[in-house]
Amino acid sequence: MSGQKQVANKLLWETLERWKRSSPELDRIKFLKTVPFFDQLSNRQLKAVSDILFERKYEIDELIFEEGQPGAALFLILDGRVAVEMRRENHTTTLAILERGAFVGEMALLDEAPRSANARSLERTRALALYRGDLSELIHRDPETACQIYRALAHIVGDRLRSTNKLVQMEISADKASVA
Amino acid sequence: MRPDQDFEESEQERKFRRRIFHLVFAILVLIAGGFLIWKLSGLVAPVIVGALLAFLFRPIKERLKIPWLPHELQVLCSFVAVGLVLFFALDTARKYIPDDKQQLEYKVRLKYKLNEQYQQWVMKSPEGKPSMLMSFIQKQTGPLMDKVNQLLELDPKEREQFLHYSAAYSVKNEIGKYFQANQNARKYATPEEAPDAAPATTAAVAAPVQPPPAGESSKWEPWILAPLIFVFFGFDNGQIRRYFIGLVPNRYFELSVTLLDRLDNAIGKYLRGTLTECTLVGLTLCLGLILLGSPVGIAMAIGLICGLVNAIPMLGTVIALVICLGYALIAENVEPLIPGLNPNNLPLYAVVLVGITHVLDDVVFQPFVLGSAVNIHPLVVIVAIIGGSLILGLWGMLFAIPTVVVVKTAVETLFKELKDYRII
Repeated sequence: MSGQKQVANKLLWETLERWKRSSPELDRIKFLKTVPFFDQLSNRQLKAVSDILFERKYEIDELIFEEGQPGAALFLILDGRVAVEMRRENHTTTLAILERGAFVGEMALLDEAPRSANARSLERTRALALYRGDLSELIHRDPETACQIYRALAHIVGDRLRSTNKLVQMEISADKASVA
Repeated sequence: MRPDQDFEESEQERKFRRRIFHLVFAILVLIAGGFLIWKLSGLVAPVIVGALLAFLFRPIKERLKIPWLPHELQVLCSFVAVGLVLFFALDTARKYIPDDKQQLEYKVRLKYKLNEQYQQWVMKSPEGKPSMLMSFIQKQTGPLMDKVNQLLELDPKEREQFLHYSAAYSVKNEIGKYFQANQNARKYATPEEAPDAAPATTAAVAAPVQPPPAGESSKWEPWILAPLIFVFFGFDNGQIRRYFIGLVPNRYFELSVTLLDRLDNAIGKYLRGTLTECTLVGLTLCLGLILLGSPVGIAMAIGLICGLVNAIPMLGTVIALVICLGYALIAENVEPLIPGLNPNNLPLYAVVLVGITHVLDDVVFQPFVLGSAVNIHPLVVIVAIIGGSLILGLWGMLFAIPTVVVVKTAVETLFKELKDYRII
């Protein structure tokens, strides 16, 4: 291969690589790979998911969703920090503080039941929202991908249920001990 | 003053400024949008038609989706598939569209047959002397028949053309006979009932044939937009929806996606349901006409047209009746496939067929296909159709009900969701 061709080839590949590195779509796919929900999906499947996500930007102290409102979407935190809080009368309990890569409001993917807590951004936050209707539509378009997402969701809900059961068991044991 | 308080104050000010900006911007957009729609009202129908076609095309696009192909190529494949089907369908339908000569023949034949049937049914009673009832019907329908005859009268240019065709291509003997008979067609209304009929006819004959106005062709130009809109919406992969949702404030994000989704479902259900219903009506009429002895091609063409006009509530059936009756009147050498039917009573059978189809549509097709997709009060339907026809003519009539469905669903869903999200 002549020197000129080699230089042209190198330039072409370098440009392509740079373009690939700076592509927001690729960044989003890379991010999705780090989320437990989607870590089993292939690049093609991640692209299909990325196509149905909405990017939202939140200011400090802005509510992402409110307790009692019907849930419609799951939120993946792309940047920033989000507090999950419960308000009871005058008291607010922070249940968790979530950072990049975490997700919140996953139960909204199953049904329209009211949110059980508030999600509030603690700093400027970027989030990706996955709407329940879009995921339902994905079942018809790409059943394999949708099935994998629902399976991941089932795992997460199952894990939470097991943790809750453990907590309840511990509470019951503690109660029994105090009664004894 | 503490820096925290400073920051909070500046944030409050910023929030206020943002609200004012959004409000002013929304008002400006509404004014500009309203002005543009008013000024470019001619573009509204093509844009709506293009968008609706894209909407109807979407499920086909989704069904033909091949996951490993790039989106653009997938859409292109589905365009090609649908295009090929449409091309063959239109190519087949084209064969049954009458040319100039056939149109003249049909006009002559229709006028002759209409008069023949009218005279057979109304003018003569079995005893040869019209009964009182027949005299009454004759008195009432006579002026109407005169008007119809006037409408079917060949103008001087058409007459010249017809004579030219009959000389050059040996038009069938019966048609020549019909033409002669039409020349001597009598008037049904007594002179005192139709004082203005004669001058009108004279005026129609005497008036020179006007060339179409210069602007006539330009009224079709906006329709170039319809296929363009269809193609753009066809290639859209949800970007348009994502863009508009992106403009919505965070507080209303979930509300907006839910609202759009529900609207999409309701309109989709209604449009696809109507399309299925129209197809079923068209097929029933087509099958009925074949059973009555009509050639398959003509039955298919009539079924297609009647199916399409069935989208206009109430009026669709009337148009279908006129078309089927018109065909039954001009049809000749028809041999019904159902034994025992008299071919001379074809117009009566056509009326019965349209009636049966209408009942089937009301009792079976609509409840089965549309279900409770739309529950609109009949009065609203009538007002919407009349209003639509006044604003946009035939297109207005066609789009009146889908528009009512969209507005009704939007308002209902909006109020429900606003309450659920505790915004109102």
